[in-house]
Amino acid sequence: MTAIPDTARLARRISLRGLNFAFAIFVVLYAAIAILQPNYLEAGLFMNFLRRAAPLAILACGQLYVILSGGFDLSMGAVVTLVVLAASMLIGGDAAMTWPVIGALYAMGLAVGLANGVIVSFLKVPSIIATLGTMLLVNGLALAWSGGAPRGDLPDNFRNLGRLVLRDVPLVGTLPVAVIILAAVVLLTGWGLHRTAYGRRLLAVGDNPRAAELAGVPVKPTRISAFVISALAAVTAGILIGGFSGVSVNAGRGLELQAIAACVIGGAQLLGGRGSVVGALFGALSLFALFTLLNLLGLPQALRDSLQGVILIAAVGASVLRHRRST
Amino acid sequence: MSIDTFSASRAQRGLRDLPVPLVVIALAAVIYITAAVITGQTNQISLPGLSGLLQRTVALGLVGLGQTFAILVGSIDLSVAALISSVAVLASYLMQGDPGMIAPAILACLALALVVGLVNGGLVAYWGINPLIATLSTGLILQGVLAAGYTYLSGRVAPEFQALAYQAWFGVPLPVLLLAVLALLAWFVLAKTRFGAHLYAVGGNPDGAKLAGLRVERFVLAAHLIASLGACVAGLYLAARLQSGTPWIGRDGVYDLESIAIVVIGGTALSGGKGGVLGTLAGVLLFASLDASFNMFGVDAFLKQVLRGAIVIAAVAVYAVRNKGHVA
Amino acid sequence: MTAALEMRGIGKAFNAVKALDAVDFDCRAGKIHVICGENGAGKSTLMKVLGGSYRPDTGEVLLDGVPVRFQHPREARAAGISIVHQELSLLPFRTVAENIFTGMEPTRWGLLDRQRMDERARALLQRLGSAIPPRALVADLSIAEQQLVEIAKAMLVDARVLVMDEPTAALDDRDARSLLDLVVRMKAEGVAIIYISHRMPEVMAIADRITVLKDGRRVWTRDRAEVTVNAIVTAMVGRELQDFYPARAAAAPGLPMLEIRGGKNALLRDIDFVARAGEIVGVAGLEDSRKSALAQALFGDAPFAAGEVRIAGRAVAIRSPREAVAAGIGYLPGDRKREGIAPRQSVRDNALLTLQAMAPALASPDGGARARPKVDQNLRDMDVRAGDFGQEIATLSGGNQQKAIIARWLMQNPRVFVFAEPTRGIDVAAKAAIYGTMRDLANAGRAIVMVSSDLPEVIGVSDRIVVMHQGRIAGELPAGAEEGAVMRLALGVADPAAAQEMAS
Repeated sequence: MTAIPDTARLARRISLRGLNFAFAIFVVLYAAIAILQPNYLEAGLFMNFLRRAAPLAILACGQLYVILSGGFDLSMGAVVTLVVLAASMLIGGDAAMTWPVIGALYAMGLAVGLANGVIVSFLKVPSIIATLGTMLLVNGLALAWSGGAPRGDLPDNFRNLGRLVLRDVPLVGTLPVAVIILAAVVLLTGWGLHRTAYGRRLLAVGDNPRAAELAGVPVKPTRISAFVISALAAVTAGILIGGFSGVSVNAGRGLELQAIAACVIGGAQLLGGRGSVVGALFGALSLFALFTLLNLLGLPQALRDSLQGVILIAAVGASVLRHRRST
Repeated sequence: MSIDTFSASRAQRGLRDLPVPLVVIALAAVIYITAAVITGQTNQISLPGLSGLLQRTVALGLVGLGQTFAILVGSIDLSVAALISSVAVLASYLMQGDPGMIAPAILACLALALVVGLVNGGLVAYWGINPLIATLSTGLILQGVLAAGYTYLSGRVAPEFQALAYQAWFGVPLPVLLLAVLALLAWFVLAKTRFGAHLYAVGGNPDGAKLAGLRVERFVLAAHLIASLGACVAGLYLAARLQSGTPWIGRDGVYDLESIAIVVIGGTALSGGKGGVLGTLAGVLLFASLDASFNMFGVDAFLKQVLRGAIVIAAVAVYAVRNKGHVA
Repeated sequence: MTAALEMRGIGKAFNAVKALDAVDFDCRAGKIHVICGENGAGKSTLMKVLGGSYRPDTGEVLLDGVPVRFQHPREARAAGISIVHQELSLLPFRTVAENIFTGMEPTRWGLLDRQRMDERARALLQRLGSAIPPRALVADLSIAEQQLVEIAKAMLVDARVLVMDEPTAALDDRDARSLLDLVVRMKAEGVAIIYISHRMPEVMAIADRITVLKDGRRVWTRDRAEVTVNAIVTAMVGRELQDFYPARAAAAPGLPMLEIRGGKNALLRDIDFVARAGEIVGVAGLEDSRKSALAQALFGDAPFAAGEVRIAGRAVAIRSPREAVAAGIGYLPGDRKREGIAPRQSVRDNALLTLQAMAPALASPDGGARARPKVDQNLRDMDVRAGDFGQEIATLSGGNQQKAIIARWLMQNPRVFVFAEPTRGIDVAAKAAIYGTMRDLANAGRAIVMVSSDLPEVIGVSDRIVVMHQGRIAGELPAGAEEGAVMRLALGVADPAAAQEMAS
């Protein structure tokens, strides 16, 4: 049948298009920002933009793993909140405690990720419900622990992870530490997904878990690791957010949905099987550029939620239409 | 969803023959009575105490009724919390304490619910968007508009409307009667009408339903309309009870997640095609008795949230864990 | 005699592909017209046109000489055309009566009339020779009983034309025979029956006329008396298929590769089983023989709870598919789409999946520079027809997908291969290719275990036949055994007369 090679090439063009799509959207949006505020084209301000977008991008990279496994991680925002509150209370202004506490924070993230993974894999609770549940739980824990009122200060060496900008760097001039961390996360998650056997297993599990199981893939550990990676990404993002936003009980609110939107813009297939880290990265940058643009245009902060809703529908809807046309 | 799941069959039916809703109701009773006895608050088991318990079931029960239809048909509605808040705010804003505005306010809220239900149903059934994403997104849109515009939308419900939430007929609170009547109506539709039978067909095997000539999209749309109506009535009730609405009512009450949990724990399958209203009522009774028990034990509000999250997971897990297949 | 149904010059194209090209077809009341053809020959498309799911680009459909044009399957059903589909369309958690009446429930004063539903359902089922209670839940029925409910559903509208698309595909021989009896009975009631099947014994048993489709065109239509199986197969494939089944093993079997002693679990008992290097052991049995449970136990999917398993003489514990792979067993699942392929991944990645599954998590995904050309070579050796191995495997035909999965196992080089229903839903040419592959694999020193519901296939391909009966091994037969002998063991019947009657 002559139709087959054409659909094959078309299909691959579509997945590449997802990537190019996110990149193109980002360029367009950033151009719009630059039109309103030309100094955004300076390297310094661009770096600053990247610095502030870094948490979202890191969250998107983590969320991608869960989406590729066929699920959703709605507890990311709660983990961020927990990290911010826990950091402030555990460090208590004492700079010497920073690194041990960061270790503890990652341990907490590991626990949440494991819990999510086990609930989905062993208790067979769908991830939407499971992670909504852990979101409630973790948020409740954070609030109960802090009594609802954030205390304690974050010392400079902690905050610098999110705030510090290296100066006199060759080529780019200024380089925020957050951007370095972002680059490291992107490289790590990208390598993990595209250049390891684990990444292919993850894709297979999301695509057809039964077939993966019968091919010898360890399905449960693969899925659990995806949730762990997502939670660890949330911890990393939380550390950055604590750095430049300070402590607040709403630190993580809504971030998980932003991360999902970013992944979808970047071409990830919901319910698993296809996606890329670079796509998620540019999806996040696009989303953040959109928020920045709307801020500059004077849109009320609260409407961000509505906007995200529209974007999610548009992004998922578009991929549904694309899929329908090619089958 | 395929027929080869049938092999969980005859041999194991013995224990399964126990109707789930009855087991859940029994569990609810046990929990409530035990808590009352342990904390020495046996006055809770009296008529006013039970009346109070039933009052607790109204808001969640109303949402749950609507959610039952959505889940039966194979979909789900995560926008209910935002809709509840929107309806509560809209009702109090339109009434501004004026009894003459009660009827128009109610009509306006119903209209809003209708629109939201149509959008949800349209996105899911006609555009083919994943129901979780679609309803989550519409909820987000509502929430954002509400939060942004709330400063201009403050208001208060009419005292006569508020009184409705506190009246009682023959010792039974009016809201509880409302829930009972609507539940009866819902049960009747599902069990005794063609529409109900078709809902089960669409949820149980959409491809088979299509081949049998049913227009699957219409039923999904109808189910989402009903789900939104349930949230609307719940929002109106809450506005009456709390005197006015805020944008956080829905989210604070966790109505989205908990309505799903009570439907599932009552025996309605998340995949659709199985279950019913009786199960949902049993589920809401269970959650109400748990909530009341927590209060009897004086559990801190934040800790309650932690427990709520754990309970929701447990409620779904009890059924889900029997699933032999893979879940994502 | 006017034809009850006539289709003239039916053409249908999807984008650039012509699924049907000027096909003529007719069917008379009280006659069974069988349609044969490879997958992709156009049988399903033709039936979808008849059933109102598709509108033809050219040509017309006539019922009793009157042209009809259906916009929706409902209209076709109303006109008396009933289709029993391959994929069951039943609702597991509703009653039999509710299922039969889906979409056309009887009402009284606007409400469901359950009493009438139950009565009519019972009457319908009785007409089909079944005593299934109308209030039974479909989920509690066996596959054969569900098939019957599906047929009852189709018969509800007093069908004039009944289309059955491979109805015995999921049934074992005994239930298949009951179904065929039923079809013959319906023919006696004057229904025009269109029967699509791959199974030659069935075709020859019930057809009045046979039509062969190939590549969207009608090759010929002949009366059954004028036709031989070879003629049908030749027409379907377009070339002479000599030696459909490959030659038996060249040499005597070697050392035992797989040994099970006292294997036991919830569904199986007293399993003493051996498969030697170089031999193909066929496992036959009826639907409740639990032969698929044996396949699953061998591969650790539904493991043995007790008993000893040895691979190449070494005792191993196989509690999961992963352990089975590690021990050197390969598995081809019966349901490709649900259990075999990861549809959105590339052909190459599907072929690499087991390698990726067993390699350390952080290892390279294609096994390194040496493995990369090897997987492509394996795919080519298996004759997987794909424009580009990087394309999504879902775009390949069923037979090619199956071959790609075999290629996956070649990367692992297992000592034992378990094939579960290897040729289900695969067209004739691809079947022959897979039999050839099995023989090659065996000749290379592996032990092949083939579990199949297709009795001629088991008898034709195996070097040794193990017959199962209700979770136990009933007996063993040598290659080329007589069908009756296999059936006797499968039925657990010692009485030759009764078995003879069943076999005829």
